[in-house]
Parts: sequence; C-alpha cells; structure tokens
Amino acid sequence: MNPVVCASGVDLLMEFLEGMLPAEVNAALEEHVAGCARCAAFVASYQSTPRILRDATAAALPDEVEASLKAFLRTLTTAFRHD
Amino acid sequence: MNTIVPAAYPTDETLAARAAAGDDSAFEAIVHRHQARVFRLACRLTSDTDAPDVLQETFLQVYRHLPSFRGDSQFATWLYRIATNAALMHRRATARRPSEPLDVYLPQFDADGQHRATPAELQVASRADELLDRQILADRARAVLARLPDLYREAFVLRDLEEMSTANVAEALGIEPAAVRQRVHRARLMLRGYLSDLLGVKP
Repeated sequence: MNPVVCASGVDLLMEFLEGMLPAEVNAALEEHVAGCARCAAFVASYQSTPRILRDATAAALPDEVEASLKAFLRTLTTAFRHD
Repeated sequence: MNTIVPAAYPTDETLAARAAAGDDSAFEAIVHRHQARVFRLACRLTSDTDAPDVLQETFLQVYRHLPSFRGDSQFATWLYRIATNAALMHRRATARRPSEPLDVYLPQFDADGQHRATPAELQVASRADELLDRQILADRARAVLARLPDLYREAFVLRDLEEMSTANVAEALGIEPAAVRQRVHRARLMLRGYLSDLLGVKP
C-alpha cells in the first residue's frame, strides 16, 4: 500500500476511529499519526467537533410548546379512534 | 449489580401496542417520554421557529401509523425516522435559501498531501467551546447546521448529535451504513473547519 500522508489519513479517519480498517492499514495510520503533530492535532479537533456542536444545539422543550402539543393531541385523540 | 426495571416502566414497544389498541393513556406516555428529544431533533434539522410544527406533525403521524408499527425495528428508530421525514418535508415546504456545500471549510493540503495549517492552528477548533462566548457559539452552530446540505445534516444530526448508532441511522434514513459514515465524516470535516474559521485560523 502507499505510505499514509495527512490527506489520505484524513480520508480514512472515521473508519480508523471506529476500528473498521484492515489491520495493516490501521497500523500504518497509527504510525503516521504518532509521528505527525499536525495529524495528532487534527484528530483531536475532529473528535471534539460532535461534542461541541451537540452542546451548542441542545434546545430544551419550552413549556408553551409542550402545552400546545398536549392540546393538539387531546383534540386528535378525541376526534379519532383506532379501529 | 443487577439493574431492576420496574414493572411500572413499560417498554416503548409495549406502550406502542397498547396505544395501537386504542389506549390513549399509553399514547400520552409515549409522547411524554419522547417529546423533548423529538423537539431537540426538530430544532437541529429545521429551526427553533419550525420545530413546534415538526413536533406536532411527528406525533400526528405516529398516532396515525401506530397500528402499522410491526416491531421489525425498535420503536425509537421508527419514531425518529418519522420525525426526520417530518422535518425534511417541512424544510421542503418552506422557502429558504439553498444549502451550501461548505467545501471552503474542508482541510487543506499541500502538494505532498501534508496539512497546510500548523499543529496549533489544527488544534484550536477543539477548544471552540472554551474560546467563544456560549451564546455566540450556540447561534453560529444553529446557523451552520442550517447551511449544511440535507444529506449531510440528517446523517450528522442523527449520528453525532442524537448519538444514534450508525446501524440505526442507516435504518432511519433508508441508506447503507457505509453511506452514513461517509456523510457523517464529510459533515464533521466541514464543521470542524467552520469552528476553526470562527476562531480565525485556517482549517
């Protein structure tokens, strides 16, 4: 196989982190990341991205939306019955 | 230590069967159990403004289709497939600016395939939540999610923000697991670069 460079490593990153790569490819990528400060930094920020976006977009259900849903569904269940 | 599940806490599937048989209190229990998560999902797939409509539409569809829920998949997976579809229908029905590929935020490499950015620049996105004002980050995060093309947003939101398994996301979206991974990966790359850009560094 071709030696891993940063660009080819990034292409394989998700499968690498999920342990899905063949052992030989996995070992080559591990070796590259261990010796590449750029890739080590990139992997850290790639792994942090979901958590940062998750925390930043965690909307709570407002009371008025819950009340409105409840009223809507009460009308619905009153009007329809499953046969 | 063994975990004891109280009999008073029926599974989703049990509640779904009771609701399908006409037990409205079981339906209310399903709604109560899932409404906050469906609302959060709807916010992430559409917007805070549109999410209440998507929430209502989701539970309307769940109520209508409960009799056809066969239990082939987990109830939660079935529910989030309905919620995702309701959100996408809502997006298509409302006029909005087209999404953008956000390719400008993908990592950049030199001719040898090495990252152009320095290690310090590449690292900084992982500290976006420490370095940016919380409200500004929340506003920008919602805005950038809205700019992602639908294909990437759906997969990223379900897999990384709602933390569903790749297999369940594949089932909810009706695509192969490999396609889920490819889309989530692409979304992560663009969003990582976007966070870098917010902090004034190269992706």
